[in-house]
Amino acid sequence: MRRDHAAGWLGGVCAGIARRYGVDAALVRLAFVVATVAGGFGIVLYALLWLVMPAGDSVRRSRLPSGRGAIEVALGTGLLLISVLLAFRGLGIWFSDAVAWPLVLIVSGGALIWRGSATASPAPQEPPTAPLVRGEPEQRPIRPEVARAAAAISRTGVGVALVILAGFVFLQATDALSAARDVILAVIAVVVVLGAIFAPWVLRLFRSLTEERAQRIRSQERAEMAAHLHDSVLQTLALVQRRSTDPQEVAALARRQERELRAWLSERPAPGKAAALAPALEAAAAEVEERHGVPVEVVVVGERELDSNLEALVAAAREAMTNAAKFGAGSPVDVYAESNSDTVHVYVRDRGPGFDPGALPPDRHGVRESIVGRMERHGGRARIASDPETGTEVELELPARADR
Amino acid sequence: MRAARPDIPALVAGLALLALGSVLLLDALGLIDLGFGLFAPVACAVTGAILLANGLSRRA
Repeated sequence: MRRDHAAGWLGGVCAGIARRYGVDAALVRLAFVVATVAGGFGIVLYALLWLVMPAGDSVRRSRLPSGRGAIEVALGTGLLLISVLLAFRGLGIWFSDAVAWPLVLIVSGGALIWRGSATASPAPQEPPTAPLVRGEPEQRPIRPEVARAAAAISRTGVGVALVILAGFVFLQATDALSAARDVILAVIAVVVVLGAIFAPWVLRLFRSLTEERAQRIRSQERAEMAAHLHDSVLQTLALVQRRSTDPQEVAALARRQERELRAWLSERPAPGKAAALAPALEAAAAEVEERHGVPVEVVVVGERELDSNLEALVAAAREAMTNAAKFGAGSPVDVYAESNSDTVHVYVRDRGPGFDPGALPPDRHGVRESIVGRMERHGGRARIASDPETGTEVELELPARADR
Repeated sequence: MRAARPDIPALVAGLALLALGSVLLLDALGLIDLGFGLFAPVACAVTGAILLANGLSRRA
């Protein structure tokens, strides 16, 4: 389960949960609002989930200018707002100093906190820079993510300070500060005492959660890489062994694999890669047909643009077709895909001797990682039904919301 | 021949300074009484407009 920044409003937690379980994100948001109103539990739960859930691969890009431009826009907007308020005050159109100025501070602080939380998300990796000229002193690599995180934290800190200042200004202007002073002092004392007692545990918990999250992301990336290598390089090597008597065929296989691997390593789309579901499935079927000499029939109902989740679905379907071609005793392979507003289904079926999915050896990654694991990592699921009489059917399901 | 595109930040800055100059001129002529209550919002608006136009132009 991953946070979905593209469809999210705040941190993408509700959208991520909705995407994972195929429910409407508005219902999840409503549940969090109800839990928040009913005692504040919703906010705590949201914060915990934000910490625990890894970020999705779709990162929302800010439409605002960044760097110096953002500072100028923020200062300019603030000054214009202040000029309007001062003009209203000068003209006598004024309600109360006790409300207006704290409101300005809260809006400014809230904007800074919002901006800080939006830019704290990891941005896509920049391509590697050109190598340094020989003879130049070696420079330390620039880490933009560190600079971004530091800027976000400092912005958030200033924002929090402005909001607290707004509270004090309001209390002072309404003469409530003197009355509330004893209460505030008591609260500060309790917070300091509790902080001194629990800070080490909270800090350790935060670090362990962060480390666990990083480990989970690393593990998922490793599994994704293993699945890709299994589907591409290992299968090509197996084909090379099988066709070692035909040097031209072996050379063609090696060239194709090299092109595909180079495109994958440089994060470019593979040569001839389709942009929609139906052509992508047909291309995968044609490739399996060509490699294994088994007819693969594809029927697709409904069309959809490919994104990273649907690419994973096509890769899982391609692996299921390869398995059907390899182990289906030469029987034709049928692929049926259906895409509607809720889900995308792909069925891959052969009439071979079948197998026991529970009895697969642990070192075989084809079904476990390239099909089942891959679908789960992208918010979908895979079901395998196999019978010696009727053959094997692999059902792949991906919620339509997962492709937003 | 293609007409040159105006420099929006410079245009906004020029107009804002023109407005500020007009207010100062009206004060010098005694037509208005330029106290802090009037000068502060005008100065804020001029500076804010220049900064906003400059910051937004960086997005392009």
